[in-house]
Amino acid sequence: MKNWYLLLLSLMFALILFMALSLLYNSIGPEISVPEAPIGIVLKSSIGPAMDFWVVVDQGIREAAKEFGLKVEISGPRFEKEILRQIHVLENVISKNPPLIILAATDYAQLVAPLEKAAAAGIPVITIDSGVDSDIPVSFIATDNIVAGEKAGREMKRLLLSSPRKDIAIVSHIRGTATAIDRERGARTALKEEHILGTWYCDVEQEKAYLITKSLLGNENLGGIIALNEVAALGVARAIDEADAKNRVLVVAFDNAVKELSYLEQGVIKATVVQRPYNMGYLSVKTAFDYLNGEKVVPFIDTGSVLITKENMFEREYQELLFPFSTEP
Amino acid sequence: MKSSLRLGTLESRIYTIFTLMVFVSIIIMQLVSFRFTINTVRSSTLDSNRAMLLQLVKQMDSYIEGMEQVSMAVAEDDEIQSLLKEVLPERRGTDTDLFYSIQDRLHNYIQAREDISDILVIGDNGIIIPSDLEAEINPWTSVMEKDWYSGAEKAFDRMVVSSSYVQNIIKNRYSWVVSLSRAILSREDRKIMGVLLVDLKFNRIKELCESLVIGRKGYNFILDNEGNYVFHPTQQLVYSSIKEEPIRRILSLIEDPERTSFQEGDRYFMVETSPLTGWHVVSVTHDSDIVTDWKYVQIIYALIGLILFLVVGVATNKISSGITKPVRKLQEIMQSVDTGEFQLVGSIKATDEIRELAREYDIMVGRIRELMEANIREQEFKRKSDLKALQAQIISKGRELILIRDEIEHVRSYLTIQEMRYKDKFQYEMDIDPDLWELITLKITLQPIVENAIYHGIKELDYEGYIAISGWLDGEVIVLEVKDNGQGMDEKQLQEMVQGLETPLEKRPLFSRQGMGVRNVHERIRLYFGQEYGLYCFSTPGKGTTIQVRMPVSTMEDYL
Repeated sequence: MKNWYLLLLSLMFALILFMALSLLYNSIGPEISVPEAPIGIVLKSSIGPAMDFWVVVDQGIREAAKEFGLKVEISGPRFEKEILRQIHVLENVISKNPPLIILAATDYAQLVAPLEKAAAAGIPVITIDSGVDSDIPVSFIATDNIVAGEKAGREMKRLLLSSPRKDIAIVSHIRGTATAIDRERGARTALKEEHILGTWYCDVEQEKAYLITKSLLGNENLGGIIALNEVAALGVARAIDEADAKNRVLVVAFDNAVKELSYLEQGVIKATVVQRPYNMGYLSVKTAFDYLNGEKVVPFIDTGSVLITKENMFEREYQELLFPFSTEP
Repeated sequence: MKSSLRLGTLESRIYTIFTLMVFVSIIIMQLVSFRFTINTVRSSTLDSNRAMLLQLVKQMDSYIEGMEQVSMAVAEDDEIQSLLKEVLPERRGTDTDLFYSIQDRLHNYIQAREDISDILVIGDNGIIIPSDLEAEINPWTSVMEKDWYSGAEKAFDRMVVSSSYVQNIIKNRYSWVVSLSRAILSREDRKIMGVLLVDLKFNRIKELCESLVIGRKGYNFILDNEGNYVFHPTQQLVYSSIKEEPIRRILSLIEDPERTSFQEGDRYFMVETSPLTGWHVVSVTHDSDIVTDWKYVQIIYALIGLILFLVVGVATNKISSGITKPVRKLQEIMQSVDTGEFQLVGSIKATDEIRELAREYDIMVGRIRELMEANIREQEFKRKSDLKALQAQIISKGRELILIRDEIEHVRSYLTIQEMRYKDKFQYEMDIDPDLWELITLKITLQPIVENAIYHGIKELDYEGYIAISGWLDGEVIVLEVKDNGQGMDEKQLQEMVQGLETPLEKRPLFSRQGMGVRNVHERIRLYFGQEYGLYCFSTPGKGTTIQVRMPVSTMEDYL
């Protein structure tokens, strides 16, 4: 009769003690829950030193994964144009039921269907670099390509002030990809008072961009070309270099392949708009971590872009952006 | 039993106080020892971290020293001296035996030292000798504009160590290096003839910084003496402000020789400056890496606390109940006094004090029992003898009877005596129907009633008492009445008196002697004449009491 009462009192105190101690320790070292299973990451292209961009994204992802203690499993098609393959890879990842998926979509429309499967399976999705036409992703982490396009457009406008030739051509990498659409839109916004001849698509083939440029050079009034990604830029620059037309046709490009930077040094490319792939990779995993810990995540994070010219390319602040440590031999 | 539930009991008090004390002391103990553990682990981690940091700086400096050695050796080279002295039009000197001989030597250094990326000799006369046999000089950059070039010329005979940067002097090659440059002076007239550049692969320093880290979140970074980043593992995050380092605090730490580290948030910063380069190597340790198994330590501590608490709790329970159990038993036994039982404690398992208490109690109870038994025996004896006397009276009926006239005379003489005794206290009056005179009554019927009236009705009055004695015939019943103007009785007292009259002699309470005489009269009349006769009382508080004696009519002849 009295024992239950004393026992109860003991247990009550014990419970209070336990809670008090736990609270005390928790305040010293907060414990954050991290899923055991790896996060499924599907990028646009998994191999190829040509696409340094994705190598650097990968670096950012791995740094953040290390910092936040998350496991990641990175996969993707070999080349950006392999949309069906990416869908296949993504479906494979969904079947493993990861705690979260990070996707860089190769196509704005076609990746929606597999993402719906992920949503049905209760897997949250974060998109990076290129989004999809869907509300499913909880966050989209990318360069604001409209802003990036505007930077390129404004630079082109500035460069053309001192040029007698005013026609501008846009060489886009691919039709239908969000990055290409947004960059073109931004460039056209900045150049709305200028004369734009039109947009040509090189289908992510350097040779095609080269040929397009060669034919464009026939136009005596052509004063500038905006190349919307590195593949397009390399093709355009090669044609300009061969024709020795670097002072006649001014090129503003995107991205920072080593060859592009060499063209920048030579003056074949006058300026290039560079994204921050490292930050993109890092922030995608950080956002995933925040989301998995129940924190609110913003629907869009602009990782920013920088206009690089021959003058600022070796400045301390931009050196590592243009020549990442990770790509060193 | 039930009492132990209440907070006021001895047991719950002991228990509560003990538990509270134990609770508080465990908390304090845990706090102190936990802090102590943490601090010990922390400081030992930081100590080993410092050792690691010193190691890092030492190794980094050894790279720079290696470059210096190469640089010294090359700068003194005879062939270089003579090549740079030549005044050559239009770079013709690049295709000479001397040029190739020098290039071969430079190339050999590179081969031997895999940490060196390039060695270049840049002559003021326009000759540039790269160590790489296939390297082509980048035509789109100007050597003269480079910091390492102008710096070396300015420093004259001292070496200049650059920060980390992308070297673009070779065409189509962009490599991260740290440059060590120095002017090449003519041996004869100490005039500057050119600059010798030794490029250290920055990767070496980077790998060094990345290998000597503590924990998952630890890292190192390097600042030059102006606070610019030479290396940071997440340089881009720092430049785009996603991550921030407390540069100002680090620089102030360098100036303060007293302190070696500081804490900001959950990171510990430790700085060591390289004497050779002037670079500040900063080591960052994350708190969560210092005690890696936080949760484990935490659970262990909580469990130890819990077990301790439970053990002490059970012990406290035993101790407190050991003290209070005999006390409570004693108390329970003592409570039996309430119901009139006097139980003995007997032998009890308890401490000496409690046992002594129990013994004394038992002695006391024994005494009380003896006293009570004696008292009961005495009373019993008295009652028995009363009854005997009564029976004796009843047996000798004849002697019991008396004429009312004689009984009246008897009362009158009693009253006369009492009147003298209680002078001026009361008056009395007698009014007896003369028809009653020759009738019979029991001996001593009126006197106890009158006595009662004086003692209980009149004695305590502060005014003059009055007793009226009257007698008359009520049909076949003789009524003798004693009426006083005394204090009277209220309803309850009257009730008690009537009840007293009706209670048989044997069942009366031991100590109640009051009104014995009156009751005796009542009983005697009933015994003698039958149940329908006896005494009848009427009373009004403050007004007085009337007692009537009712008997059947009878004469002396009836009994002869």
